[in-house]
Amino acid sequence: MSDEVGSAAETEADSEPVDESPTLYERWRQIHDNESTVAALTILGVALAPFVLVTLPTQLGLPSEYSWYHNLLTLTLIWGIFALGYDLLLGFTGLLSFGHAIFWGTSAYAAGIFSANVTGSPLAMILVGTLTAVLMAWIIGWISLRRGGIYFAILTLAFGQMIYYIFLSPLGDITGGENGFTGVQVGSLFGVVDLGRAVPFVPEAFVDSWMYVFVGAAMILSVVVGYRILNSPYGAVLRAIRENEQRAEFVGLNVWRYKLMAFILSGAFAGLAGSLYVIQRSFVPIENTLNWTVSGDIVVITVLGGVGSLFGPVFGAGLYMYVANIVSGMPVIGEFWHMILGIVFIAVVATMPHGIWGRVDWLRDRVADAIGGDER
Amino acid sequence: MTAILETRDLVKEFGGLVATDHVNLTIEEGELVSLIGPNGAGKSTLINLITRMLEETEGEIFFEGDPITDLEPHEVVQRGIGKSFQTASIFPELTVEENANIASFGAEHGSFRFNFLKHRSSYPAVQQRTLDTLEAVGLRSQKDTTAADLPYGDKRRLEIGIALASEPALLLMDEPTAGMSPEETQSTVELIEDLQEEMDLTILLVEHDMEIVFSVSDRIAVLNRGSIIAEGPPDEVQGDPSVQEAYLGGVEL
Repeated sequence: MSDEVGSAAETEADSEPVDESPTLYERWRQIHDNESTVAALTILGVALAPFVLVTLPTQLGLPSEYSWYHNLLTLTLIWGIFALGYDLLLGFTGLLSFGHAIFWGTSAYAAGIFSANVTGSPLAMILVGTLTAVLMAWIIGWISLRRGGIYFAILTLAFGQMIYYIFLSPLGDITGGENGFTGVQVGSLFGVVDLGRAVPFVPEAFVDSWMYVFVGAAMILSVVVGYRILNSPYGAVLRAIRENEQRAEFVGLNVWRYKLMAFILSGAFAGLAGSLYVIQRSFVPIENTLNWTVSGDIVVITVLGGVGSLFGPVFGAGLYMYVANIVSGMPVIGEFWHMILGIVFIAVVATMPHGIWGRVDWLRDRVADAIGGDER
Repeated sequence: MTAILETRDLVKEFGGLVATDHVNLTIEEGELVSLIGPNGAGKSTLINLITRMLEETEGEIFFEGDPITDLEPHEVVQRGIGKSFQTASIFPELTVEENANIASFGAEHGSFRFNFLKHRSSYPAVQQRTLDTLEAVGLRSQKDTTAADLPYGDKRRLEIGIALASEPALLLMDEPTAGMSPEETQSTVELIEDLQEEMDLTILLVEHDMEIVFSVSDRIAVLNRGSIIAEGPPDEVQGDPSVQEAYLGGVEL
């Protein structure tokens, strides 16, 4: 009797996925590639991040100066949006831009100056900032995309420098020159919600302010829009251009216009992020917005996280922000944070060809294998 | 029969070198015309002029009666001229299905669309064309394979599939059997013959393998130093003394 029961259980465990009931793997596959799942995971991640990264480490006894803090988490999300858009260009279209500080920076100035002169409504600031970035991306892409490869990178870098110096000096009366723009007046959301205030009924251990909710919502929106783009015809066409531009042209696709669209879309994400940055800081520092180092930082962040993935760059932003803001404050090693970042960068590039997210993907595949999938 | 493609006094100069010298080539609908000639005769230049990869120095090109010299390469493809490349020009990191899918988008949606927020699966006509394309070149069972992992012969078949997804009226084939094993060559030749019959395709074939050229062609044009020195049915061209001169003239026997 007991023998029979055992063998029955065994055949069930050994049965192929062709069986009537879907295996765990198949069920997981079904929900895995689906927009609401992606949105739900992002919401979960954004909602839990403050507790997991800020509150928990301190309660477990980690000195608070080594732990994340709320503002840094908000900043990470902002840079994550920037990186997500940048990866559309670098990872999916295969275009290396060295001028993305332009879109992040000009949107920051536009949003800041608009808030001082017209209205400080955060949504209006975002609209103005993003539109500015789109316009800039349109113009600069239209010119720079006439050249490919290294020439494209150099052209974008040159435009970046040009705009940096224009904002520094000729436009100094408006932009505040090297002091940055200090007149930012961020108003309340919908005229009622002060973004700096705590969220009622939610313990500070989870969310410290409306600002985090606001930026978190922007992140969720960005992920969903990014996911949509990657699953639209554009997702296929842009990767085709990355793989074999000539072939893409010879299936009848207007490669140049698709590249320009990728550039503009990526600029729009940068513009959203740049506007949020000003809303968070209430100040436009020129060195952190238009300086060419910003264009370099976004490349480093995207490569760290993993080019060609949707979530990777967000994790890249997290690692970068931790090193730049927390490791830099640690005793002894803090001074060498640039070097530490360099070592981390080399280590990631050398050992994880597809960045941090590439490792996550690899792990997921292992798990998938273990629970009964043999494809992919 | 009507001319599908016509070049009139087409000239291309690179510096002082005349790569295409007053070429007048006419291809009728439904024909399979082969373009042959020794290395450096200007075959690729002529193909590149037709696809608008190169700007002509002088002359005109007409496709289905309309001039195409002012068009961009993708516009020429949209008009109905497809090209299969000399090397397997595919999208290596994408799956076989995605490769065909991209070509189907180009065919169904024209050269550009503003649909970056719509899901790919919401275009059934594109999906159907993708499957038809894979079926036509016999790669449907390998649709989930990464294109780079296909054997060389299959890569070439996929390449031809991509070129055919747009159902071109005229297909330019640049050495479709280059680098293939005899078996792969044989199956490719069969594929070409099938395609011509089934899809009413007009083909301009550039090929080095004379055995293939003489067995499949309706007409052969021989190019030497940029100009057409002979043109006609295979047996006529074969016996033409100027052709033998062009192929053997430079060789000390």
